[in-house]
Amino acid sequence: MFVAPHIEWAALTPVLILLGAAVIGVLVEAFVPRASRRLVQLALSALAVAGALVAVTWRWTVVQSSGPRELVAGALREDGPALLAQAVLLVLSLLALLVIADRSRGEDGFAPTAAAVPGSEYEDQARRAGLAQTEVFPLTMFAVTGMLVFPAAADLLTMFIALEVLSLPLYLLAGLARYRRLLSQEASLKYFLLGAFSSAFFLMGLALLYGYAGSVRLDELAVAVPAMAGMDGLLLAGSALVIVGLLFKVGAVPFHAWTPDVYQGAPTSVTGFMAACTKVAAFAALLRFVYVVTPGLTWDLAPFLWTVAILTMVVGTVLAIVQTDMKRTLAYSSVAHAGFLLLGVIALDERGIGGVIFYLLAYGLATVGSFGLVSLVRTKDADGNVTSEAGHLSEWAGLGRRSPVLAVSFALFLLSFAGIPLTAGFTGKFAVFSAAVAGGAWPLVVVAVLASAAAAFFYVRIIVLMFFTEPPVAEDGSSTTVVRTEGLTAVAVVVCAVGTVLLGVVPSAILAITAQASKFLL
Amino acid sequence: MSLVNYLVLAGILFAIGSAAVLVRRNSIVAFMGVELMLNAANLTLVTFARMHGDLSGQVIAFFVMVVAAAEVVIGLAIIVSIFRTRGSASLDDASLLKS
Amino acid sequence: MSVDLAATLVVAIPLLSAGVLLLLGRRSDGFGHWLGVAASAASCVLSVLLLLSLLGSPAEDRSVGVHLFSWIPAGELSVDAGFLVDPLSVTFLILITFVGTLIHVYAVAYMEHDDDRRRFFAYLNLFVAAMLILVLADSYALLFVGWEGVGLASYLLIGFWNQRTDYAVAAKKAFVMNRVGDMGLLIGMGALFATVGSVEFDEVFAAVPGLSEGWLTAIGLALLLGACGKSAQFPLQAWLGDAMAGPTPVSALIHAATMVTAGVYLIVRSGPIFEAAPTAQLVVAVVGAVTLLFGAIVGCAKDDIKKALAASTMSQIGYMMLAAGLGPIGYAFAIFHLFTHGFFKAGMFLGAGSVMHGMNDEVNMRGFGGLSRYMRVTWITFGLGWLAILGIPPFSGFWSKDKIIEAAFVGEGWQPWVLGGAALIGAGITAFYMSRLFFMTFHGEPRFNDGKNDQPGPEQHPHESPALMTVPMIVLALGSAALGGVLMVGESFFHWLEPVTGHVEHHEPVVPVPVLIAATLVLVALGVFLAWRQYWAARVPVTAPAGSVLTRAARRDLYQDVVNEAVFARPGTHLVRTMTYADTAVVDGAVNGLGAGAVGWGERLRKVQNGFVRSYGALMAVGVVLVLVAVLATRI
Repeated sequence: MFVAPHIEWAALTPVLILLGAAVIGVLVEAFVPRASRRLVQLALSALAVAGALVAVTWRWTVVQSSGPRELVAGALREDGPALLAQAVLLVLSLLALLVIADRSRGEDGFAPTAAAVPGSEYEDQARRAGLAQTEVFPLTMFAVTGMLVFPAAADLLTMFIALEVLSLPLYLLAGLARYRRLLSQEASLKYFLLGAFSSAFFLMGLALLYGYAGSVRLDELAVAVPAMAGMDGLLLAGSALVIVGLLFKVGAVPFHAWTPDVYQGAPTSVTGFMAACTKVAAFAALLRFVYVVTPGLTWDLAPFLWTVAILTMVVGTVLAIVQTDMKRTLAYSSVAHAGFLLLGVIALDERGIGGVIFYLLAYGLATVGSFGLVSLVRTKDADGNVTSEAGHLSEWAGLGRRSPVLAVSFALFLLSFAGIPLTAGFTGKFAVFSAAVAGGAWPLVVVAVLASAAAAFFYVRIIVLMFFTEPPVAEDGSSTTVVRTEGLTAVAVVVCAVGTVLLGVVPSAILAITAQASKFLL
Repeated sequence: MSLVNYLVLAGILFAIGSAAVLVRRNSIVAFMGVELMLNAANLTLVTFARMHGDLSGQVIAFFVMVVAAAEVVIGLAIIVSIFRTRGSASLDDASLLKS
Repeated sequence: MSVDLAATLVVAIPLLSAGVLLLLGRRSDGFGHWLGVAASAASCVLSVLLLLSLLGSPAEDRSVGVHLFSWIPAGELSVDAGFLVDPLSVTFLILITFVGTLIHVYAVAYMEHDDDRRRFFAYLNLFVAAMLILVLADSYALLFVGWEGVGLASYLLIGFWNQRTDYAVAAKKAFVMNRVGDMGLLIGMGALFATVGSVEFDEVFAAVPGLSEGWLTAIGLALLLGACGKSAQFPLQAWLGDAMAGPTPVSALIHAATMVTAGVYLIVRSGPIFEAAPTAQLVVAVVGAVTLLFGAIVGCAKDDIKKALAASTMSQIGYMMLAAGLGPIGYAFAIFHLFTHGFFKAGMFLGAGSVMHGMNDEVNMRGFGGLSRYMRVTWITFGLGWLAILGIPPFSGFWSKDKIIEAAFVGEGWQPWVLGGAALIGAGITAFYMSRLFFMTFHGEPRFNDGKNDQPGPEQHPHESPALMTVPMIVLALGSAALGGVLMVGESFFHWLEPVTGHVEHHEPVVPVPVLIAATLVLVALGVFLAWRQYWAARVPVTAPAGSVLTRAARRDLYQDVVNEAVFARPGTHLVRTMTYADTAVVDGAVNGLGAGAVGWGERLRKVQNGFVRSYGALMAVGVVLVLVAVLATRI
């Protein structure tokens, strides 16, 4: 006799809103005339994300009063950390969406037709006809849906599916850049292949854990961990493989090799979206897995996690110091930040959860803002045509004088990355590091502080480059220029900057909220 | 017939799949390796389902098949676009982004 | 007006005035000095109101806490900023604001020809505010804020004419020596926090019975070091003479009446700590005794009128320290002497300033002589101060100093004889050198060129100072004359201080009191006679004669500077040089090495990212294998 499971539709509203918007977006692609397609898609997506954010807030108040619960017969959890992560995700997604949707001189950041071969006649025709690849909007919505489910997943299967749902659109989005399409396609290929590779590891880990415990539900795994002594090998190998899969998404060493190439090749607005939101989702899921399933395994997994954290911080920082490309520098810096965030995961202390989520918010704001600004700085070739983003660091020299507002906001985001006091980054680092110390991982904190100090070098180098260096004179007559946009990026950057400053100066309100929500429902 | 043999087989398939990804230059063959890895996991799941006398493993295998299919769609789309641009499906040719 | 408001305003008004004068800059030059005077006068009025308010309440209620704000809520260390209005602090309040206001008025005329007069008043107000914070604080932490504030103000005021290098150097010397003392205060505060967990007075004194004597002695000695620095006691007294480089109102206010007494305040306020650590208390008394003799000997050989008065200050504070180190029996006497000393020493400094004003800023007493004829008011007011400091009855110094000498002779064993003897002999030497100063300046034949005699040097026209200068001097002289007697009526002053110092049984000194009084007067008379013989009756040489070994030593401050230089300054410079080298070689080397290392590793690691997706995959696979090996290794 089949008993239909009880589905709490009310609790699922955020996911349903986004999923619905994604599906409707696909239909809009089919049925809405081309001229109004972009506007409809943008409105739909923005409203969906905003609506989902409202829904998450509503669910937060519900959980505050009536406690956390499990949904959909145990496939999802609605508890403090999940809702917090979802809220952070939706805020960052909304800001990233603004950057994705923005156009300058009537052109957005995406190829007019992805199907056209780069450099072909077809592509030129498409550009002149003003075509736009508006499928990016439903793709983004699908990705955000996956990201929303990922932290809330209560069994490994849901987690796997959410992982795929969030990754597949990103693989596609990475290949859609307007300029430098070869690099973009290559980035997409690399991301896809390596992503699929790591998903396979995740799946094998899932299978081994299923073999160990007879279930893939996190709560049943948690119960089974101390229970069976004999089959440890399965448990350990399975947990390690699952964590490896999650570490790939996060960009930890030695699973980080895709990060610089993909961040550099993908369209800049998508890079901002990926760098911020994927990390939030992946870290939230990692937190859930580590805190719920593996507390009993700390003795075995600690050396592995400690080594990964140290390597990530060190490699990220050291490689960022020697970079010459702006987006690659920011990519390696995000690897280093992944290392810092891992401290909060390793801490296995209640404060770690709130600290990691706060840090993710601070890091996400600075990331979306900085990549939004990077998308505005373009190279102008000798004929006066504005082309791709100014990649090389030297092209950024002297921006402080020509576009002071852009340079100052960029400097603010860089200082937040560096963890300078009075910025959100400092508060985030403080929260995570104190949680790590409380959890007994103080050697990691020492390495983290040293790495932060070294990292400050390349952040400040960019600031010095912008403000205190003369603009270069290139032999081919090209120069750097800052394009004017329709304003969406400006709005996103302003919100990110204000958020960065506010979280640095008066973080207590948000800190209180994140600290409050630090109990996983098993 | 011991069920452990199936697990061993799954392990071997997984290793072969990984080797294919790492060794083969053709992107389609590398992707086939990924699919092989996913199927090795499927085999593991089904075997453990049998061992535990629980059907969840087989249900999970179904889900995985669907996901693998979706992945194939996306993956082939990307590989085809690269092939049309470069005229070659070699993974090593796509190495403009480095260091 | 409530006590809270009055106490807050008493500090806030001079502080605000200082801020306004400094911020407005040149624009306030026209009225700046009057604003400064008004601020100080307002504080004086408020202090009197506080005094009346305390007098109006019964003795048990005379300790009022005023909570200001929560200052350092740092977890275990939680310090609130608050004021403690009790008899001791109100006594100081009256002294500081009353004498301070008079000196402000004096300075209006004294600094009339100085372009930076407004800045001077800003610093004076800043000083008053800081000193008031010091005496009103209810915790060592807030006291330290005032402590540092007065140190800063002292530095700014000593070096006020910093166009002259030696003045700037003197200011620096004062500041640095004070720093050494401040270390002591900080260490004491740190030790208090470590043992008691708080630095507020009430909590500390309540916890004293529970602390070991070793800790209490250490804390007491650390606090004493701080007091020595601020009050120019041995071994940190070398800065006071040099501090005379500042304008005379500064010397009068800061280095006579108020700042240098802060050390005595600290010791008396920390009474419970010292009472539980008799060794530390004895050290306080010994330091006081040594300093009073030191200052007296040095004062005998100084020809600079201000430096002689500085040595006298040092010596008189030695008396106060001696009294404070005698325990509960001495606290009240120390404060009493502090109070009367504030009046007569400030008065004498103002008189010296008046003399300098009339003698074209000349400070060498060998160039004075016979000035009583030309500057009557100055002569009389200075004379009253002189009589007071000598301890001639019925002037105030007699009442206060004699009490100290009596108390010094109380006790058993060697203590009363040594300490009492030092105090007694010191009284005699004080009489000698103060009379020397008085006679050299005001009596005898003029040793300056007054246009009619045949003395060398430029022509001088000594004249009386304007009213703005003489009126404060008159007021202070009246205080010097009468205050002691007035306050002794019914021992009212001691009863007033009892809530703080505790009621003390009267002990008999080892030498009967009348004998002591007689001995003191005899020694004083002897001192005056010797001074008369040498400096009035006889001709005073215009150039200083070679003098005996002791005289030469006294002229050079008993070689204190030489000792400081050899023991502290030179090794200190060497130490700093070594550390600078270590900093550049080791620390900078390490940082630069780290940077170079990072870049080197970065370049090498870059090559891993070779652009081939298969090698990225291989990296991941190797990682996975290593992870599995590491995780499963223990299980196999």
